[in-house]
Amino acid sequence: MRPENERKLAVILGLVLLAAAALCYTVLKPEAPEEPVRMLFKGSAGDVLFTHQVHIGEYDVDCASCHHNLDDGDEVYTCSECHEPGASGDDDVMGRTDAMHAQCIGCHEEMDAGPAECAACHATPK
Amino acid sequence: MTDSTKLIVSHAPFYRDACTVMKRSYLIMAAALVALIPGWFLFGAPAVGVSALAVASSIFWELTANTLMKQQPTIGDGNAAMIGLILSMLLPATAPWWMVITGTFVAIIMSKIAFGGIGGNPFCPPALSAAVLTVSWPHLMNFNGMLVNYDMAWSMVDPLINVKFFGAETASLYPPLELLFGHQAGGIGAVCGAGLILGGIFLMIRGISSWEICLSFLGGVFVAAFLFNMSNPDLYAGPVFHLLTGYTLVGAFFLATEDSSSPVNLIPMLIYGFGGGMLTVLIRNKGVWVDGVLFAVLLMNLANPILDMIRPKALGKV
Repeated sequence: MRPENERKLAVILGLVLLAAAALCYTVLKPEAPEEPVRMLFKGSAGDVLFTHQVHIGEYDVDCASCHHNLDDGDEVYTCSECHEPGASGDDDVMGRTDAMHAQCIGCHEEMDAGPAECAACHATPK
Repeated sequence: MTDSTKLIVSHAPFYRDACTVMKRSYLIMAAALVALIPGWFLFGAPAVGVSALAVASSIFWELTANTLMKQQPTIGDGNAAMIGLILSMLLPATAPWWMVITGTFVAIIMSKIAFGGIGGNPFCPPALSAAVLTVSWPHLMNFNGMLVNYDMAWSMVDPLINVKFFGAETASLYPPLELLFGHQAGGIGAVCGAGLILGGIFLMIRGISSWEICLSFLGGVFVAAFLFNMSNPDLYAGPVFHLLTGYTLVGAFFLATEDSSSPVNLIPMLIYGFGGGMLTVLIRNKGVWVDGVLFAVLLMNLANPILDMIRPKALGKV
């Protein structure tokens, strides 16, 4: 192939793929599911990957068990909308870390299922 | 502007098999596609978008650099497209567009053009680029976080994260056959072990990737993982797990074998590959990073000029 044809091929390839990428990043981009499949919580003790859908489906955990504000209306709020990072200044609302720990460990202990030790959820180096 | 085809100088009777740089690039891309296509099927349109954008932006970065430097465009040799495609193998399917474009900028401009273009780069461009992205935006290169919305029939927890942080027993969640079929969380072109092995064999048979580097790299991973596993089976996963997870196979067949950053003589190639494999497992098991392939390849790239000083003895005596 002549050099100018090689260059033309590369430019055409680039333009076609740019159009394909634009389509994939916009029109063909899948919507985020209404109910998250998994959630990655960042923490100073290491990330926690929460298997949201497994808890709903396989463990049959009721939405209101965690989203305790459901009594106030139909809208589901995420934990972080009320529970602020670190310790909370509001005595009525727990800080996010305490709320998460109380929710997860509390439920695991109550149901006698699931881990309660730090390193079983937090990704901390062994 | 100069026409590069008019400046070809020949001396000595070189072996010629009509294989051009362009042909090599497109053959490597064909081999990469064998591993990428299953990844596109598994991760869908977002994965196709990442690969397409990586190739397109690589071509345009190189064209822009050529234009600014008043050089004859070099995009026709397919090298830029190949670098973009290999980089996309390492990225998560949901990588944001700006990260892909930044990645190709690092790969093309900072890793290749800055060193004088094709053949002058001391580091493998896709490996350097992916390493820069990993260090700069670790949360965007974290497959657990980036693939949270993929609901598959298999565990979508990054196997390397699971083993590193939750013990070697979690390796049992990932049977080797499942890993070969791409049933794991990882880079778009890094999950399908069978595709990577097929593509790698094709490249080795065609003589494009040095079998010495590929096999010694895999040998290094196997030996190091075996030794770690023997020392503490509760903490360190076995060799087969390490061979089929993370970037191991991409590293062995596509990154470590990059032409200008790898040695050319037999002994240096074996040391280079084996050292890269050993370092991979060492970084995985003892380092702070989950996958060690990128850093292992870059460290061995750094050792490449010294390794290449080990030369075969000259024939005859003076």
